[in-house]
Amino acid sequence: MALYLYLQLPSLLVDCVSPLPAKVPLAVADAQHRLVQLNAEAAARGITLGMSLGTAAALCADLQLLPYQTERQQQLLQSVAQQLYQLTADIALDPPDGLYLRLCAMLRLYRGLNGYWQVLYKALQALGYRYQFSCGTTPLAAKCLARQQLNLLSADSTGLSAALKRSPLVASELSLPLQQQLKRLGINTLGQLLALAPAELSRRFEPELLSYLGRLNGDFYHALNYIQPAPGFSRYIELLYDIADTRVLTAPLSSLLQQLSMQLKQRDALCYQLQLSLHFRSGRPAIVLAVGSAQGEYLPERWLMLCQLQLCRLKLAEPVSGLELNCDDFKPRQAQTAALFDNSVATLSPLQLVSLLEARLGRGAISSLSLQNQHLPELASRRQPPLWTQQSQHQKQQNQSGGGAALKPVIPLALRPAFILPSPRPLTEPVEITSGPERLCPNGWQLAAQRDYFIGRNRKGQWLWLYRTVSQQWFVHGLFS
Amino acid sequence: MSAIIAQLTRRQLLWQGNNQQAAYQALSSGFAELDARLGGGFPATGLIELQTDAGIGELRVMLPYLKQQQASGRLLVLIAPPAEPCADMLAAAGINLDALLIISPANNNAMLWAAEQCLHSGCCASVLLWQPQLSLAQARRLQLAAEQGAASLIVLRKPAQYLSLPVNLSLALTAKAQGLSVKVLKRKGGWAGEVVNISMQQHWPALCLADSSAATALTAVAG
Repeated sequence: MALYLYLQLPSLLVDCVSPLPAKVPLAVADAQHRLVQLNAEAAARGITLGMSLGTAAALCADLQLLPYQTERQQQLLQSVAQQLYQLTADIALDPPDGLYLRLCAMLRLYRGLNGYWQVLYKALQALGYRYQFSCGTTPLAAKCLARQQLNLLSADSTGLSAALKRSPLVASELSLPLQQQLKRLGINTLGQLLALAPAELSRRFEPELLSYLGRLNGDFYHALNYIQPAPGFSRYIELLYDIADTRVLTAPLSSLLQQLSMQLKQRDALCYQLQLSLHFRSGRPAIVLAVGSAQGEYLPERWLMLCQLQLCRLKLAEPVSGLELNCDDFKPRQAQTAALFDNSVATLSPLQLVSLLEARLGRGAISSLSLQNQHLPELASRRQPPLWTQQSQHQKQQNQSGGGAALKPVIPLALRPAFILPSPRPLTEPVEITSGPERLCPNGWQLAAQRDYFIGRNRKGQWLWLYRTVSQQWFVHGLFS
Repeated sequence: MSAIIAQLTRRQLLWQGNNQQAAYQALSSGFAELDARLGGGFPATGLIELQTDAGIGELRVMLPYLKQQQASGRLLVLIAPPAEPCADMLAAAGINLDALLIISPANNNAMLWAAEQCLHSGCCASVLLWQPQLSLAQARRLQLAAEQGAASLIVLRKPAQYLSLPVNLSLALTAKAQGLSVKVLKRKGGWAGEVVNISMQQHWPALCLADSSAATALTAVAG
């Protein structure tokens, strides 16, 4: 037997406003100035759904209003569905405020409806949205019962169908003219309607009625579009008030990072790069910060620290009104291994240290060195991204593809100075030459550019690496520290 | 020994000069004459100050020590080196380039911050810091971070009259024909004021002047 649960979240936009300081009546009004969502305080003051703005304002002078945003509502519903996806395999969206959950496949996993409900209840409590629900043998039956706030939880089909038969037509999805037409015929409940012969109905009414009743009954197949888990993480929060101080951003940011880390934990994944966007009210383009971690992290504290280091470098021209956190791809988590008997004091791994330094000092400030198989001093040393060998090993493990040709170790040249001057400076002091010359010729035998290198010591006792050009000019190129 | 002395010693009220503990764990510097004077070598953790001119061999004197420090698999960090470090020379001296970081900070504050993070992290064995402006409090802070992370910080500064910093070891280096002359300015748990001449003849024969009698060196002047 098929079993569906319909979950209706009637006040998403109101509930997602983070906890208000005092009890403030809050309502959402649509474009026609009708109230479509209320919080508990507003309902307690006598305001009802569908009331016009004028009436509501007359009843309650300090009513706070939010505009209805279709996109935001959709996003919220989507995010609830993504959270519940951990518990239920088949979830379909029913915009603007409903979710179909197919239970029949899940009951065995949770050992019955009760076990399932306990888990779902906990998840819904953690989300903090108000909800009403009902079970049903078809998606539309569940929806019809949930609309009446029956909160039925049973797998008993006779009980469910009895409840469905008692349902008034208002709870159904039939159009208003159709409902009125039926009412004039003396049909007030769905039970009366379902008792009529379909052939008779099809003769007198539009085909939409028959198709609805067929799906309600389960006679017709009702195709639902089940969601797929989103590949990354993307969330936007509107701040309660504009924030000009980057330090104050910590609180909303950490709640975003908490959500990210929940999602990462559920997938047993890490992410290497986050995009943090700061949105402004005046339409100024958002500031986008790329926060990276070389090792990959899932812990919110670590990400918060890296974000803070970037934020404290930032000067805000105007207060921030919204925060957005994006992460495109999750990578599977690697087990970190460390020596068992090595009583090390390390609080960070080298890659974590690199991420920390990069967050504060900028990408270009940290680098590593590699030795190239070149004889010219300026080509032999090459700056590389920090700890590139470790990072590339990391990547290789990720991709599970060996295959890279093993690099032949480069044998270092015998005597080279510790420091090479970025641009050689002319020699202006007497030096004592102790060894040389060593003739270096640029690639391609450019004889005019060849240089004869000498090692010399000046009066102060500094050991210099000198060269003489073809035109007999002397330059200092390095320092034997 | 009388019973009273034994009792006082047991209660740690009496201090005797001959059973003095080393103030730090020493790691051989690779130069026997230096090891003998420094009670075994350079400290494995904490601050080491070198007052030296550039290019006289200040890095060469530290290389065997740095190589040993790096042998634990931890990082070697160069902060604000005076010019482009040369991979050939470091690799030839046995430094593992895969465990080497070079940091070029924009200003003195960033430099000290980076040094502190590196020392504190515990994943760096040694940090070399060129020409920082260090106050007493900052040096103390770096010293604590170094002890916490079991790392050593080598501060290279121009020879000048500085305030005495809370360091484990402070040396002044001057150039000599055969190598370096090292003056111990300060040593934790030891005597200062000793001068050691170390010869580079063994490690770096090309970077030593031959005997002055055999000086057949050319003299070149910029033209």
